Amino acid sequence: MTPSREGARIALAVGAALALGFAVMACVSDHPWAAFRALLTGPLPSIERAADGRMVVHRLVRFGAWLQDATTLTLVGLAIAIPFRARQFSLGADGQLFMGALAAAAVSLGLGDTPTALPLAFLAAAAAGAGWGLVAGLLKTRFEANEIVTTLMLNVVAVQVYRLVVGRVLNDPTAGFITTPPLPEAATLAPLIARTTVTAMVLVAPAAVAAALFLLRRTTLGYEIDLAGANPWFAVRAGVPVARATALAFALSGAFAGLAGFHVSNALLKRLPVDLTPGIGLEGIVVALLARGRVGALPLAALGYAYLRVGAQAMERATDVPREVVLVIQALIILFVVSDRLAPLALGLMRRVRTNLGGRAA
Amino acid sequence: MTPAIAPPLLAIALEDVEKRYPNGTLANSGVSFTVAAGEIHALVGENGAGKSTVMKMLYGLERPTAGILRIHGRPVDFRHPGDAIAAGVGLVAQHLNLVPSLTVAENVVLGHEPRRAGGRLDRAAAAARVRALVEQSGLAVDPAATVASLPVGVRQRVEILKVLHRGARTLLLDEPTAVLTPPETATLFATLRQLAAAGRTILVITHKLDEVKALAGGVTVLCQGRVTGSARMAELDEGALSHLMVGGDLPPPPPRRTARTRPAPRVVARGLGYVDDDGAIRLRDVGFDVAPGEILGIAGVEGNGQDVLARLLSGAAIPGAGDARLDGRVFTGLSPRAVRAQGVAVVTEDRLHDGAAPTLSILDNLLATRYAHPPLSQRGLIDRGTARRWAQAVIDGFGVRAAGPHQPMGALSGGNMQKLILAREIADAPAFLVASQPTRGVDIAAASALHSRLAALRDQGAAILLISADLDELLALSDRIAVLYRGRIVARFAAGAVDAQTLGLHMTGLGPSVDGGDHDAVA
Repeated sequence: MTPSREGARIALAVGAALALGFAVMACVSDHPWAAFRALLTGPLPSIERAADGRMVVHRLVRFGAWLQDATTLTLVGLAIAIPFRARQFSLGADGQLFMGALAAAAVSLGLGDTPTALPLAFLAAAAAGAGWGLVAGLLKTRFEANEIVTTLMLNVVAVQVYRLVVGRVLNDPTAGFITTPPLPEAATLAPLIARTTVTAMVLVAPAAVAAALFLLRRTTLGYEIDLAGANPWFAVRAGVPVARATALAFALSGAFAGLAGFHVSNALLKRLPVDLTPGIGLEGIVVALLARGRVGALPLAALGYAYLRVGAQAMERATDVPREVVLVIQALIILFVVSDRLAPLALGLMRRVRTNLGGRAA
Repeated sequence: MTPAIAPPLLAIALEDVEKRYPNGTLANSGVSFTVAAGEIHALVGENGAGKSTVMKMLYGLERPTAGILRIHGRPVDFRHPGDAIAAGVGLVAQHLNLVPSLTVAENVVLGHEPRRAGGRLDRAAAAARVRALVEQSGLAVDPAATVASLPVGVRQRVEILKVLHRGARTLLLDEPTAVLTPPETATLFATLRQLAAAGRTILVITHKLDEVKALAGGVTVLCQGRVTGSARMAELDEGALSHLMVGGDLPPPPPRRTARTRPAPRVVARGLGYVDDDGAIRLRDVGFDVAPGEILGIAGVEGNGQDVLARLLSGAAIPGAGDARLDGRVFTGLSPRAVRAQGVAVVTEDRLHDGAAPTLSILDNLLATRYAHPPLSQRGLIDRGTARRWAQAVIDGFGVRAAGPHQPMGALSGGNMQKLILAREIADAPAFLVASQPTRGVDIAAASALHSRLAALRDQGAAILLISADLDELLALSDRIAVLYRGRIVARFAAGAVDAQTLGLHMTGLGPSVDGGDHDAVA
């Protein structure tokens, strides 16, 4: 399917899901229109004229929340989409993210306020995520362990290791809750937009996508990953090192999830609480699904999905519609987008109706 | 049907049928032909000519985008195979769809089972039905036999029984002889004639001139989606028929090797054996020599060890005993990559399974064996420009009908796909080529082109092992022929000293054993 058709198809799917979602809202809310507006415009900043005649931008926080959420989602989306090229269903982005965040925080705290702390924390996060991903990859290629099971289990292990280390080793006894000390200033990223957590990571995410695309399209490893995914039997017979390519796909995926961890620790929170909520890694699956597994489409899918998430928070805060309704809409969008034949069916139906009407008119 | 209406004379009629796929490919255009009730009609043409599309439309797998299909005079609009079956149309697919662990009777009734109370399968009734069907149709099969234990030719009969059990009066067969030995083919033809004599109509796709001659009452030729000729067989002589089928005269077969002296062997295999995971001996004490510039043919009914032999020689499996050497170096027991690095190339038996990646582009498929080395890649970076130019050169040089290097491999016809696969495998001038079924399901013109390429590779000094179920191909190309039966070489011949009939006997285990040990008895 051509990209433009695919775009039309996804727009149709999202529109249908929003329409159904509105129907649900109308059932539960006294003010469905207000709720719907809050959902659709929540992440946007509002520009108003203040009393003294100057322009003032409001609600930048939510706008920032949208961009930084999209950053995380793009990176964990990459962590899902890359193994998918090798036909591997990795659910391990969460664990890789936790390992990346932990490594980044440990390196930052260890090096303190030095100029090398930031780049080394960045690299440590990528390396830790890659290592954790490689474990799943080797379990799959050496021992034929199902990657869905191993990545989920490795998530559990990673989260517990994280809690152990944050609680016992990196704990800040003066904080009043269980957390690491604040990361040194030199190791953290300054916000690009005032009053938000939008940092240079918002540029790193698309750069990571570009790097992944280059790797997949132009390098021999990327070719091997594609071939292993498209037809592993053929790839083996042709002499392609399928096991190595598959394992490396997992490692690569882990590196990007690790960078998402770096984003959480050194850009968003700037210290790591013991109760960091797992689950964002699984949202990467949604993003990868919305992008239909296309690496180049990940930033767009992440922006769209993050928009909905932040809009949902805005709606929950401002209206009587509970957050669950948004979860329903999100689920509907995914259902519509992955139902490959639904949109062509609808388009075909519309075309037929139109031809019939035209025929009658003539 | 009320007796007042005379039974329509035409079982199948296509009127200006067009099929355009959603991606814009025009598979059929203005296709019209008719098949009389009780006729055996051959549908022939090059690969990609649209024959299979016609079959799919008649069986409800595809819907025509224009034109009318008639079955027994009535216009039909099949939306899925269920509609076609209800209208008495049955398809015997090229790849048989049977459950190997079930009996013949169970397979035949599958989907239309006689049931006892509670929805359980009534095995006795099923067996009785199938027995009646066997008697009625003359298709000799034991209803109680397990399908896994049957040779391919018999399995095909089961497939035909299945179609008849669903009440088919019109049978569609897509290249039914592609997997059969000569005796099995003869039996199939007798069966088809019998079915036609009993009033059933048969539309059969074939590539082979002699099959059309032997079987059909009428023939329709498709070329690039259009009908280029339709005739009654009685009106055609052989020259006219072959001209009609090929759209010109066939090039002469490639000349045999001319060297009189036989040089020292390039490939030496000794004592190769293989036991599969279930403990069954699949290959036993197989030995042979192949000289440079020589083609050794391997004949055999499918499943007698050819697939295992090809896998051992290409690194896809490790021999349990014995080894094979190329120019003195052992190359068995290594990884496929290492085997290839020694100068061995492989055309696998099932191109869609392990010979190509149908979802990837032609370019990506051509790269598979060469991407790791210059000039196609440098230090881990693939040179897409060079690769694209090479792919285009291959497409042009091998006469592949394709839109360009970025077209998905799966969109090509079998013949074009096979040309690309062979092009890929011989691109690095291999010292030894293992070619399994290189022209299976490929039209005459493409097969002839592939044969010329094999002969050219041979003339460059490569050793070639040609594994084929097509005896004509083996006899035309091979310098020597060995017959595999139940995992052993049971006979060896110089190609000029044997005919298809004799090979057929040895292939079914009926010939006197000619092979004493693991050496080449016949030079």
